[in-house]
Amino acid sequence: MANDAMDTPQKPAPDDSGSRPAGDWPEADWAWAPYEPDQQRPWTLERAGHLYRRAALGANWAQLQLALSAGCRLTLDKLLRPPPEALSFNHTYDQYEASAAGSDSADALRAWWLRRMIESPDPLRECLTLFWHNHFAVSNGEVKNGRAMLHYVQMLRRNALGDFRLLLGEMVQSPAVLLGLQAAANRRAQPNENLVRPLFESFALGPQVASDEDVHQAARAFTGLFVFQGRRREIPREHDEGVKDILGQTGNFGRADVVRILLEQDAASRWIVRRLYRWLISEIDDPPADLIEPLAKDFAEDYDILRLTERMLRSNLFFSDRAYRRRVKSPVEFACHIIKGLEATVPTSRLGDQLARLGQNLYHPPTVKGWAGGRHWIHSAALTGRANLAAALLGEEKAYADKLDPWHLAQKYLFADEKSAGQFLLKLFVQDDLDPSTRETLLQGQDANPADSPSERIRRLAGRIVSLPEFQLA
Amino acid sequence: MSRKSLCVIGLLSLCLGQPLWGQGSLPPANRWIPPDALICLEVSEPREILKLLADKELSEKIQQMPFYQKQAASKGFQEFLGMVRIVEATLGTDWRSALARLTGSGITIAVCPQDTVLLIVDAEDAGMLNQLHDFFLNIARTEAQKQNRSESLEPVQLDGIDTWSFDGKEAHAIISNRLILASRPEGLQAVLDRRNGTVTSCLERLEAYRQARRAAGADRAAMVYINLNVLKQVPALAGALDQSKNNPLAALLFSGITESLRASQWLALKLRIREHTLLLNALADGRTVDPAGPAAFSLPEETGQGALPICPVPRFIGGFSFYRDLHRFYAAKDDLFPERTSALIFFENMMGIFFSGRDLTDEVLGEIQPEIRLVVAEQQYDPAIGTPQVCYPAFAAVLRLREPEQFAEVMEEAWQKALGLINFTRGQQALPGLIIDRPEHHQTKFTVAYFSTTGIEDPSRLPERFNLRPALAMVGEFLILSSTEQLARDLIEALDAERQRPVRPMAQVHSLVEIDGGQLASILKANYQTFVRKNMVDEGKTQEQAEAAIDVLITLVGLIDRLRLEVGSRRGLARADLEVRLNLP
Amino acid sequence: MNCTRRDFLQTGLGSAVLASLPGAFGGVLARTAAAAAQPPAERDTVLVVLQLTGGNDGLNTVIPYAHDEYARRRPTLRFAAGEVHKIDDELGFHPRMEALWRVYQQGHLQIIQGVGSPGADRSHEGAMRIWHTASPERPQMQTGWLGRAADACWNPQAYDAPVVFVGPIAPPFALNAETAVIPAVTAAGDLTLQSRWDSPGHRRATSASGEAAEPVGSPLLRYVRQCASRAGANSKRIQRVLASSGGGDYPSFTLAGHLQTVARLIRADIGIRIVLVELGGGGIGGFDNHANQKGNHCALLGQLSESIGAFVGDLQRDKTLDRVLLMTFSEFGRTLPENGRRGTGHGAGAVTLLVGGRVKGGLTGSHPSLTDLEDGALRVQYDFRRVYAAILDGWLGLDSRAILGASFEPLDIVRA
Repeated sequence: MANDAMDTPQKPAPDDSGSRPAGDWPEADWAWAPYEPDQQRPWTLERAGHLYRRAALGANWAQLQLALSAGCRLTLDKLLRPPPEALSFNHTYDQYEASAAGSDSADALRAWWLRRMIESPDPLRECLTLFWHNHFAVSNGEVKNGRAMLHYVQMLRRNALGDFRLLLGEMVQSPAVLLGLQAAANRRAQPNENLVRPLFESFALGPQVASDEDVHQAARAFTGLFVFQGRRREIPREHDEGVKDILGQTGNFGRADVVRILLEQDAASRWIVRRLYRWLISEIDDPPADLIEPLAKDFAEDYDILRLTERMLRSNLFFSDRAYRRRVKSPVEFACHIIKGLEATVPTSRLGDQLARLGQNLYHPPTVKGWAGGRHWIHSAALTGRANLAAALLGEEKAYADKLDPWHLAQKYLFADEKSAGQFLLKLFVQDDLDPSTRETLLQGQDANPADSPSERIRRLAGRIVSLPEFQLA
Repeated sequence: MSRKSLCVIGLLSLCLGQPLWGQGSLPPANRWIPPDALICLEVSEPREILKLLADKELSEKIQQMPFYQKQAASKGFQEFLGMVRIVEATLGTDWRSALARLTGSGITIAVCPQDTVLLIVDAEDAGMLNQLHDFFLNIARTEAQKQNRSESLEPVQLDGIDTWSFDGKEAHAIISNRLILASRPEGLQAVLDRRNGTVTSCLERLEAYRQARRAAGADRAAMVYINLNVLKQVPALAGALDQSKNNPLAALLFSGITESLRASQWLALKLRIREHTLLLNALADGRTVDPAGPAAFSLPEETGQGALPICPVPRFIGGFSFYRDLHRFYAAKDDLFPERTSALIFFENMMGIFFSGRDLTDEVLGEIQPEIRLVVAEQQYDPAIGTPQVCYPAFAAVLRLREPEQFAEVMEEAWQKALGLINFTRGQQALPGLIIDRPEHHQTKFTVAYFSTTGIEDPSRLPERFNLRPALAMVGEFLILSSTEQLARDLIEALDAERQRPVRPMAQVHSLVEIDGGQLASILKANYQTFVRKNMVDEGKTQEQAEAAIDVLITLVGLIDRLRLEVGSRRGLARADLEVRLNLP
Repeated sequence: MNCTRRDFLQTGLGSAVLASLPGAFGGVLARTAAAAAQPPAERDTVLVVLQLTGGNDGLNTVIPYAHDEYARRRPTLRFAAGEVHKIDDELGFHPRMEALWRVYQQGHLQIIQGVGSPGADRSHEGAMRIWHTASPERPQMQTGWLGRAADACWNPQAYDAPVVFVGPIAPPFALNAETAVIPAVTAAGDLTLQSRWDSPGHRRATSASGEAAEPVGSPLLRYVRQCASRAGANSKRIQRVLASSGGGDYPSFTLAGHLQTVARLIRADIGIRIVLVELGGGGIGGFDNHANQKGNHCALLGQLSESIGAFVGDLQRDKTLDRVLLMTFSEFGRTLPENGRRGTGHGAGAVTLLVGGRVKGGLTGSHPSLTDLEDGALRVQYDFRRVYAAILDGWLGLDSRAILGASFEPLDIVRA
C-alpha cells in the first residue's frame, strides 16, 4: 500500500501485499488467515470504515469510534452475531411489509426494504440478503405479484447467513422465482428449461459446467411443479417418473435430487465463493483458483454461509489494498451510507424511485444475472444523478423532509465550529482518506457564499464530500 | 430574520395599545399601503375572530388532546408559555384581553413586490402598545449586550417619527395607537411617504381594490383582496391554471373555475363568523364563463338551473354535486385536453364495446343531463364475511337521464358487459371474479355483483376486493352507479324520498361540495394502521411521529362538523361560498 | 480534459489549420486527424427511436387514397384524394401531417412500407415485446435491442451514457440492458448538476485530481474521476445550451417538448448515441383506436407531424440534421376493415418512418396488397429486424449480428 491511506500517517515500511506489483497474488495461507493488527497494518479508522461499508451498509460516527476502541475482532464479533433485539426488529418489519404486499406492484415493499436496511440492528443480514437477491435475480417486472416477491425476499433474508443447501432447495420452488423465470408450468410432455438453465449456469454452478443434455434431463426432474394464483402446486401425474441422467448420476430423480447433485459438484462451492468474493472483497479482478480453493473446500463441507462470510471478513486479504476501494458502491449502498452516517431515516418511497433511476431498482434486477455492478454503475450521467440525489437528501427542500442535518449532528458530537464540523464529515464519510489537494479544494470551496448560515454551508460540504469519486467506492 | 426576532415581532404584533387621543385621528390603514400590493388582508373585527379562536372551551378542548400534551411538554413550548406569563404580568392582564385590546381596532397585512410584507395594527389601548414595545426593546438590548453585539437599538428619526430595527432587516414604528412593521426598511419608508403625503397613490384609491371592497360588502369580520393580474404571472400559479390541459378529469371539474380566474383582475375574500360557523365568500370580477367558449359546459344556461342538492344517506362522509353538460364537454375535448393519453383511449375503446358502437359524445353522453351527483359514505361490513385489511369508503354517482325509458336498458346492457369483461380479464389473470344478482329494494329491481366468499383465510384481514359490491339501479329518471350494494340501497331510498318531495336545483351553482368531519375522522380511524405505515415510508417518520401526525389530522378533521362549498355565479360575477361549522360544545 | 473529435473540430482551430494546407493534402490530413482522434468504431451519429404506443394505423398515416378497396373498407375513417397531402398518384399523407409531408418533399423522410414481424403476435404486450426484444423466436428474452446496443457501446474508456430515455413514463423494455445503466430524464436540465451545489471548487475537488499523475491507488478511482470530470463538463455544456436563446420553435405538445430536449442534448454534445421517446402515453397506448378513431388519430398524427417538423427545423438551423436519424415504430398496424365502432382492430405490417439529413428519402417497397389480407391486416413485406440491422450497422456503426443474435439483410436507408 504505497500511498496507502489505511496506514498510519508516519508511513512505516510498506506492507507485504501493497508492495506487490498488480497481478501478483498473495499466498492463500496468508490471504485467508485472520487479520491481526500490527505495527505495519494497524487497526485504523480507514479499516473500520472499510469493514462497515462492506458488511454493514455504512456506519455512523459512534459506531466508528466504538470500533476503533473495541478493536477489529470485537467489532467483527458484533457484526457477525447481532444483538437479540434484531429478532423483534425483523419481526415488526415483516408485519409492516405484509401489509404493503397486497398489489401487483412491489414499490411499497421496496420502500420498506430500504428502511429496514437503514434501521436494522443486523445490517450484515441485509447486505447478504441483497447479495442473494442479486444472485437469484428475479424481477417483479415479470412476477407482477407483490406477495410472491415478499415471500421470496423474506426467504432470502431467513437463509442469508444460513445453510446454502436449504437456501437453494427453497429457491427452486419459490413461486416468485418460478413466475419470474417463466417456469410456472412444468409439464411431463413439455419439460421447461427456463428455471433449470439459470439454476445450472448462474445460481449453482456457473457457466459452462453442465452440458445442454444435463439441463434437459434436469428439466424432466422438475416436471409436476406448477404455480397457480401465486401458490405452488404439485401435480404428481405431471411428474416424469422415468430415469434421468444428470452430471453422471442416473436415477428417477426429482428436483431435490437435482439440488443434491448440483451441491455435490466441486464447481458449486467454487462458484459461490467467487460470487461472494466479488461482493465482499473485490470486483476488479478474478482471483486465481488456488486462492479460492481452500475456501471452496471448507464451504463444501456443510455449506455454512455464515462461516464463509466470517472467514472472508476476518481475513488479511479483506483488510489489504486488494480489497480497499476495490468495489463501486451500488446506488443503494451510496444512499444507505449517507443516511446511516447522518443518523436519520428519510422518506424511502421516494428514495426507492430515485435509486431506480440511478440503475438499481430493488425487486427489479435487470436480468437473471442481477446487476452487473462495478464500473457499470458509473458514467458521467450517473454521477450527476448521484450528486443531485445527495443534494436532495441533504437539502432543506421538501423532497426529503429535511431529515438529514449534518451541522446538527456535528454539534451533537461536539464539533462545535465549522472547521471541525467539516473535518468530522470528512472522517465520517471517507475516513479523511483523500489526497491533500482534494481536501484543500474541498474545504476552500466551503467559504464560497459567506451569506449562508453555517448549517447551510455544512450541508453543502456534506453534499460535496459524498459526490467525491472516493465516496463512490466501497 | 432570525428566529428570535421573528418571535419578538410575532408577539409584538399580538399586542398593542391605547390612548384615547390617538383614536380616529389616523386615516384608514389601506391609505398607507402602496397600490402594487399583491395581497391585502384586513381584519376589521379582530374581536370576533379572537372570540372564536381564543374561545375558552375550544382552548380547553385542544389542551386535552394527546398531541397537544406531548407538545406542551417540550422545552421550547414551556419557554414560550413562560414568556406569555411574563408579558401577562407586565401588562397586568391575561393574554386574551391583552390581545383584544392590542389589536381591537384592526389588523392589516399586505404582501407587496420584492418580498416586502407590511403589518399595520391599530390598538385600542395605545398605552399597552407602548408598554409592550418597551418590554421587548429591553429584552433585545439585554440579549445584544449578552452576546456582545453592537447593534443599534436606539430609535432612528424618519420623517419626525421614531423608527426601530431589531435585526437590521425588519423595521417598525409606532404612530399614536398604530404599529407599522415592515419586513424591509424600504417598506416602512413607503408607508411613511404616504403618511406625510409625498406620495398620493395608495391601495385605497386603486379602482380594482375599490371594486373588490364594494363587492365584499360591509358586513364582515375580515377581507382579503388579491391582485390576480400580477399573481397570475407567478409560474406555479400559471402552471396550476393550465394543468387541466393534460388531464380530462381536471378539465371537467375545474375548467369553469380556472377560466373565470384567468379572466379576472381581482379576487375578494370575505370572512364572517356566526356562532360556531365560519363563512367565507370569494368573488372575482371575471365573467363566469364564455357561453360560446369550450368551458361553457359548466354554465347553467337558464337562471333557475344549477346543481341539485346532495342526496342524504347514512354514514355520509362527503358529497359532490355538479352541473356539467357532459355532451358539450366531450365535444370540446380537442380544446380542453389536446393530449391523447393511453387512459383516455382505453376509456373510449371500452365505451365503444359497452355501448355497442354508439357514438360516445352524441349517443351516450348526450343522453345524460347536466345534473351529476357523487356521494361518499363509510361502509358497514357483513360480520358473516369479515372486514377488509384496508377499508375504502363506498362511493356512488347519481346521473339524470334524458330519456330514461329508452336508455335505462342500454345502460343495464353496458353495465353487464362491463362486469363480464372485468370477469374475463380477471379470469385471464387467475383472479376471482364477480357473481351477478338482481335483488329488489323498495320496489326497485337492481343489479349487484359480488365476490365469492369461498376460500377466505382470515376474515379480519380480507383482501381489498371485498370493499366492492358494485351495483346499478334506476329510480325514476335517475341512474345510480354505486361501488357497494348498501350505498345503492340507501340511494334508492333517498331518491324515492326526493320523488315524494321534489328538490329544486340551486340556481346558478355549478359545483357543490359537502363534507362531514366526524364521519371522515371515523374512516381515517378505521384505516389508522394503513395511514401510519404509509406515513412512515412516505415521510420518513418513526412510528410514534407518524401516529402523532395522523392523530393531529383526525383531531382537526373531527373539529369540523360540516363543511360546505358552493361555486357558481351571482349577478354575472364568479363566486364561491365556503361555510365551515365547527364541532364545539 | 478528454478531448473528443468534436471538441477539436468545434474550436474551429484544428480543422481551419489543417484545411488551410494546400489542396487535397490538407483535406486528407484533416480526415486522418479526425479519424485518429477516435477509434474507427466510434461515430457521432445519433439514433432517435420514437415509439407510437398502441398500434398506429399505418393505413391512415400514409394513405392509399387511390385504392377503391381502401375507400370501400373504411366507410367512416377514409380520407379522399382531395384531403390528403399527396406523395404520388397512389399515396398521400394524412391531412394533419402537412409538416412531415414538407420534410418528405425536402428528401429527409423515408417511408418503409409493410414492416412487421413474421408470424406476429396480435396482443399489445406480445407484439410490443417482440419489437422491444427483437426476438420473435424467444420473446422471454430478458434484454431489449436498445439495451443490448447500450451494452455494446460500453468500453472502459467510455465515460458517458450512450443511451438515454426521454419521457415521464417507465422506460420501455427495449432499453432493458444486462450491464448498462440507462438514464431516464424528462428535461435536459435533469442531466445538469444542481447549481446550488455546483461550485468551481467542487468540480476541482471531484475531478481535477483525476488528471494528476497517480499511478497507485484503486484503478476504479481513476475511472470514477474521469467520469466526474466529464459530469462537470457535460453539465456546463447543457447549461450553456439551455441558456442560449433560440432552441427551436416547438408547438406546446408533450412530444414536442421531449424532442426539444433531445435536440438540446444533441447540441450539448455529451456523447449520446441513442435516445428513445414515446407518443401515446405508455400502457396500452393512445394509438389503440378501437372506437371513434378518426378524431383521436387526427389529434395524435397532428402532434406527431408538427413535433417532428419542429425538431427537423431546429436541427437544420443547428446544422446537425446530418448527424441524426429518427425512426418511428409501433407494435403493429391496424386492420383494413373497420370494426363497426368507427375504429379498427389490431393488425400486422405497417409503415415505419425514417427522418434525417442522410436518409435516402422516398418510398421503400411497394404498398402491401389491400385484397390479399391476413385476418384483415396487411401482410408483412419487410422483417422489422432488417430496419434494425440497417440502423445498427450502417448508421450507428455497431455489430448488428451480435445485437440481434442473427444476420439480417440491411435495408438501404442511408446516403453515403
